[in-house]
Amino acid sequence: MGAPGVARLERVDDHFAGRFTAMASPCEVLVDTDDPRVADAALEAAEHEARRVEAKFSRYRDDNVVYAINHAGGRPVAVDDETAALLDYARTCWDASGGRFDITSGALRRAWTFDGGDRVPDDATRRAALASVGWRRVTWRDRELTMPAGMELDFGGIGKEYAVDRAAARVAAVTAAAHVVNFGGDLFASGARRGGQPWAVGVDDPGRTGAAALWRLEFERGGLATSGDARRFVMHRGRRLGHILDPTTGWPVDGAPRSVTVLAATCLEAGTLSTLACLAGAGAKAFLDAQGVRYWIVE
Amino acid sequence: MQLDRRSPLRARLGAAACVLLASAPAAPAAADTSTDPAPGASATQLELSGLVYGEKGRTDVLEPTVRVTRLFANGQSLTAEAGFDAMTGASPTGGVASLRTQTTTSASGQSTSIPASQVPTAMFRDQRESFDLGWSVPVGPFTATTGGHFSHEKDYRSLGANAVVTLDLLQKSVQLTGGAGMNRDRVDPVGGAVRGLTPGDPLGTAPDPKRVTSMLAGISRVMSRRWLAGVSATREVERGYLTEPYKVLDVLDPATLETAQQLREKRPELRTRTSVLASSTWHFGDAGGDVGYLNYRWYTDDWGVRSNTVDLKWRHDLDDRHWIQPHVRGYSQRQADFFRYYLVQGEPLPAFASSDERLGPLRTVTVGATYGFQVPNLPGEWSVRAEYLHQWGPGKLTRPQAAVAGGDDDGGDAANGGTVDLMPAVHIGSLLVSYSIGF
Repeated sequence: MGAPGVARLERVDDHFAGRFTAMASPCEVLVDTDDPRVADAALEAAEHEARRVEAKFSRYRDDNVVYAINHAGGRPVAVDDETAALLDYARTCWDASGGRFDITSGALRRAWTFDGGDRVPDDATRRAALASVGWRRVTWRDRELTMPAGMELDFGGIGKEYAVDRAAARVAAVTAAAHVVNFGGDLFASGARRGGQPWAVGVDDPGRTGAAALWRLEFERGGLATSGDARRFVMHRGRRLGHILDPTTGWPVDGAPRSVTVLAATCLEAGTLSTLACLAGAGAKAFLDAQGVRYWIVE
Repeated sequence: MQLDRRSPLRARLGAAACVLLASAPAAPAAADTSTDPAPGASATQLELSGLVYGEKGRTDVLEPTVRVTRLFANGQSLTAEAGFDAMTGASPTGGVASLRTQTTTSASGQSTSIPASQVPTAMFRDQRESFDLGWSVPVGPFTATTGGHFSHEKDYRSLGANAVVTLDLLQKSVQLTGGAGMNRDRVDPVGGAVRGLTPGDPLGTAPDPKRVTSMLAGISRVMSRRWLAGVSATREVERGYLTEPYKVLDVLDPATLETAQQLREKRPELRTRTSVLASSTWHFGDAGGDVGYLNYRWYTDDWGVRSNTVDLKWRHDLDDRHWIQPHVRGYSQRQADFFRYYLVQGEPLPAFASSDERLGPLRTVTVGATYGFQVPNLPGEWSVRAEYLHQWGPGKLTRPQAAVAGGDDDGGDAANGGTVDLMPAVHIGSLLVSYSIGF
C-alpha cells in the first residue's frame, strides 16, 4: 500500500493496480491493460476525482460547502448543482427509509464515538445529540438549504460511494479498458475484462479483516458496497456494538447483520441499499429480498 | 423496520442515483458557497429550568437556572450556568418543641411566637445568585476540564475552582478520572458571628473563612455491550468556621424538661469527608429499550456521620418523542458524635454540640418521575420532574406529667400528652420544569 497521498502503480498478473489513500481509506484502481501509461492516466483520473469529492464534501475541512452549511448559523446557504443533486438524493433516501437514513445524524454519531471507541452515551448526551438531528428540520428548496444552527450535515453515508461512481466515470473518459474503482471496499466495475473474464471480488470476514475472504464474487459490471462493522468494528469483550445508528431513536440498530454486501447498478445504489438493509436490523434479509438485488449477509 | 414496501424503493433509489450521477460536477470549489460561513462555534445548547420546592409548613424555593453549552469545532466546550434562588419560609432553629408557646428571635431582630408542640423555626427570606463556568479541552486521549464557581447571598459568599482530567484507555472502554477542587467561602452572619455554646456572645472577630479542598479519583469501564459500571472516591477537607450561625440548642430544665435557656450551636473547625460512589447503567432490549441506572454511595466523615444512599432510575421510551423516568432513592444517616437534641441544665457543657437535623439520625425516601416530551413542529425538548421526599427520625422527648398540667388535653391520652417529636416527619414536594434547545 502506498503512503498517504502518494499513488503507486504496479503490474499484477495480467492487469495494472494503482493504489493511493483518500477519504481515510485505501483506494485501488484496477485497469485491464498492458500499457502502463494507460493505467497511470486512469489512476490519476480516479485519484483526482477522489480528492475533488473529498475536498468538496468532507466535513473535516473548513473551506467547502459542507462547512459553509454547517456554520451558517441558521441562515440559508445557496449551493451549486452538484451539491444540490447530492442533497436531492439524500432527501430521497431519507424519505424512502422513513427517516432512518439521515445525513443530519452527525451529532448523534459523535455522541456514540464509534471511531474505535465504545462508550455508551448517557441519556442527556444522547438526547442533546438527538435535538440536533433530523432532516425534517431542514428546509431544502430552490437550491437553498436552511438548517437550524447546531445541526450538521454529513455526506459520509453516501460520499464515498458517490466518489466511486464519479471516479469510474472519469476513468471511462480516459480509457476504454475495463476497470474497477475501489475506495475502501465500495467499488464499481465497468465491464468484462479482455477475453470475457469477470472481475473477482472477495468479501471480508467481518471478524477477521485481512484474513481469507468469506466469498469470492464474480461479476462484470456494477456497483458493490458493504455496510456493517467489517471495517469499523468495535470490540466489547468479544461482542460488537454496530455503528449503524437509527436517528429516529438515537440507538444503534439492534440485530443488524455484521456485514451486508449488495451488488447493484451503481456503487451509490449498492451503498444505499446495504445501509438501509443494516438499518432494517433483523429484517435486513427480508428487506433485500424485496429489492431483487444480489446480496451477501454475514449474521 | 417500516420501509415502505409498497413503493418500488429500489427503482426510486436507482432513478435518484441516476439523476445524481448524470448531473455535471461543478468546477472544484468554485461555486461552493454564496454566503459567508459563520465564524467560530458549531453548536450551542441552551437549557432553561425552573424548580419549585415546597416543604410542608417550611421553606418555599423558586429556583430558575439558565445553562448554555457551546461546543466548538475543535472539540472544546464552554459551559456557563447562572442560577437564582428565592427562598422564603421557616427553617428549624434547632430548638426543641415545647408544650408551651415559645419565642425565638430571628436574625433581623423580630420576634416570632411558636405554637405549642411545633419545632421552632425562624422565618427567613433570602436570595442567592450563583454563576458557574466550565471549560473542557480534549488533548489526545485526555480531556481536561477546568471550572469556576461563584455564589452570593446576603451572609454567605462562595468562590471555587476545580480541575478534572479524564483519560480514555483501551479504545475508550476504560476511563480514568482524577481531579481536585478548592473553595473559599466567607460567612458573614447578620448581626455578627457569635461564640458557640453561649447564648449569643459576640465572637468579636470576623469568622475564619471556610476553606474546602477536595480530591476525586474514579474509574469507569464498559463491562459489556449493555453494561457500564464505575467507581469513584472523593475526599474533602473543610477548615474554618463550619458552625451554622443562627442555629440554637435548647438547654432543658432537668425537672420539667422545658427549655430553660438557648445556646448557639458549636461545631469543630475541621471536617474530613470521604465518599465512594459505585454506579452502574444497564441497557435492556433493543434500540430505544429501557435503561436502568443504579447508584450506591457510601459516606463517612470524622464528625461521626455515616450514610448510605441507594438511587434507582429507570428510563422508558414511550415513543420517539415521549419518555418517562421513574426513580426512587433511599437515604439513611447515622448522627454526628456531637449531635444533641438538647442539653440538660447542670450537666457539663460538651466541647461541641449541634441539634441541626442534617447532622441527626435520619432517613429519607424520595420517589418521583420525570416525563420528557417534544412538541410536534417545535424545536427543543421539555421535561417535567415531580418528586416527593419524606424524611423522618427517631427523636422523641417525654416530659413528666406535671409539665402538662394546665394544658387543654382532655386527660384521655394523658400518657402521651407530654411527648413531643424531636425529629418530626418532613414532607417535601418539588416540581422541576426544563426546556432544552440546540441551535
